[in-house]
Amino acid sequence: MATTTAALPARATRTVRPIWAWYAALVALMAWGLGAWIDELHYGLAATGMRDVVSWGMYIFTFAFFIGLSAGGLIMASSAEVFGIKALRPLSRLGVLSAAACVAVAALMIIPDLGQPFRVINIFIHPNWTSPLIWDILIITIYFVFSVVDLYLLQRHAAEPSRWRNVVRVLAYVGLPTAILLHSVTAWIFGLQIARSWWNTSLMAPLFVVSAVLSGTALVTLLALCAERYGKIELAEDTRRWLRGFITVSLIIDLFFVGCDYITVLWGNVPSDRSALNLVLPGGPWAWLFWVEWIVGGVIPLAFLVVPRLKKLPGALGLASVLVIVGVYAFRIELVVLGFINPLTQYPPGNAVGTYNPQTSSFQLVGRYHPTWIEYGIVIGLVALFAALVTIGYKSLHVMGPSPDAKHREEPAAAVGKAAS
Amino acid sequence: MAAKNNYVPHHVMVVDTNRCIGCWTCAVACKEVNNEPLGYFWNRVLTTAPNQSTTAKAPASDNLDVPWGTYPNCELAYLPVACQQCNDAPCVKVCPVQATFRRDDGTVLIDYNRCIGCRYCMAACPYGVRIFNWGDATYAPGGVVGYGKEYSTGGRLVFTPERPKGVVEKCTFCVERIDVGELPFCVEACPMGARIFGDLNDPESQVSEFVNNGGAEQLHPELGTNPNVYYLPVARRVPGES
Repeated sequence: MATTTAALPARATRTVRPIWAWYAALVALMAWGLGAWIDELHYGLAATGMRDVVSWGMYIFTFAFFIGLSAGGLIMASSAEVFGIKALRPLSRLGVLSAAACVAVAALMIIPDLGQPFRVINIFIHPNWTSPLIWDILIITIYFVFSVVDLYLLQRHAAEPSRWRNVVRVLAYVGLPTAILLHSVTAWIFGLQIARSWWNTSLMAPLFVVSAVLSGTALVTLLALCAERYGKIELAEDTRRWLRGFITVSLIIDLFFVGCDYITVLWGNVPSDRSALNLVLPGGPWAWLFWVEWIVGGVIPLAFLVVPRLKKLPGALGLASVLVIVGVYAFRIELVVLGFINPLTQYPPGNAVGTYNPQTSSFQLVGRYHPTWIEYGIVIGLVALFAALVTIGYKSLHVMGPSPDAKHREEPAAAVGKAAS
Repeated sequence: MAAKNNYVPHHVMVVDTNRCIGCWTCAVACKEVNNEPLGYFWNRVLTTAPNQSTTAKAPASDNLDVPWGTYPNCELAYLPVACQQCNDAPCVKVCPVQATFRRDDGTVLIDYNRCIGCRYCMAACPYGVRIFNWGDATYAPGGVVGYGKEYSTGGRLVFTPERPKGVVEKCTFCVERIDVGELPFCVEACPMGARIFGDLNDPESQVSEFVNNGGAEQLHPELGTNPNVYYLPVARRVPGES
């Protein structure tokens, strides 16, 4: 407790200026994103790099990525209760805060992807219950509301542990399956589609769940490390060990699942499946995704997580977290974009593009996709919104639990310490 | 024909690939009657080998009209592909707002006024026949406007000559023409008479004969989409065989 209380006055005086610079930077980025969106509304989605062959792009894979990121927090907070992992309890509120912020940003990411964003109300007037998109909207709403309520109740619990103990436990048992369902339903948007063999695998939901746990835990780890760096809060060695364990195990399972998918396609050698995989394997035009996924986001972070000499290095956990997040993002790009680039129709001239350009053909056999600055601007603006939500939440809610040492001793003592601070 | 005494026909198109010469008249006629902007093709003619589905065999070339094999053993065929008007359409299943719907005659249509532009249908369609209105449409200067009016069926706007930004569109089987007893325009325009249109509920119709006894095949039957567009395979001797 001493560390936290001692740090408070120092933070109040010393970090005033940097935090405003941080907010100003975030506001500038959000303004850029908003400007890009207004531009897109004016020109239509022609302002993006998407066309009829690759008809989903950066918005959708970033959406799927943020849905994944939202997992870690809630799963970690729930695991702390459900499996009784005490070391993770101090991260509960930070985790749920990041879950709520991620899922809100993911939902907003869909809006610029719509051709008619002002008709979004039709989703509530004429829902089509066979559409996985409707299921996803439902579960995203539930998940967001749940995260906010959970965060509120965890706040109350931190103040009065004995009174809110049981409520928090029940919420943890509800939160875990809700989080798993959210990722499964998002996976089914792709996995249920018979049109594209690259997507049509029952492995999709488990793969989404595990990559969500992977990237989400890495995100919470990074946020906790930031809190340690700027908030002068000490992470217990036990907490670090659990975080490292979560990331290591989910990284291994994630690579195993992706490997299973590769071997199935390679051995089967069905032309339409192979042509998709060939795009991403070494030698293909999208091989950089393979290297980012397996080396940058796979082998290297794994080394920093398990090799005894490397994992002792001071920045090892933070570096590994950054790298696995990069790797999971590469996986999301690979999933969405390659599904479209792999030609549905092998025969010339392929599919019409949908816009006119006198310099090039109106048809594409193999799809092409380069995001435009409009897309980068909107995505960066929304990432800034996420950062702002987490910063504001962190500042105003004091979401880092009292220091784990105090927590281990006796809960009321921690509460008293909290009230005093 | 359709409106009389509540009889609902089952509209089916059969494409005789024996007759198709790959002239793209159907694609151009389609563009004209439906006022399709530049870069849009509701209908297109693929260069294929005889009797190949759209993914079974690697293409001979990236260019049109290039045959397989070496002279004199060359083979070449064409596959005109537009919306397959599936009876169990993936696009209808995935549309979150029921903007894409299947009419009782088997025609799959899109409500221009309801579509939110999420493009999930484009991801779900195995035939890649859907077109999105990415921006303000560019029309061919001096082009033919074709039908040129809005058309609604069952209170839903399913055709408009001036395209709104941000909605998905595709082949409608020329719904505005078949509803008054005319043929889809590609059927009328085909110089080889390779396209046959009719009512599958009528056992005497030509399409019934082809579908029930003539060996007409659907594209990607293994996907279970059950299209209302059928193809008559190319009947030919395989080069090198007696």
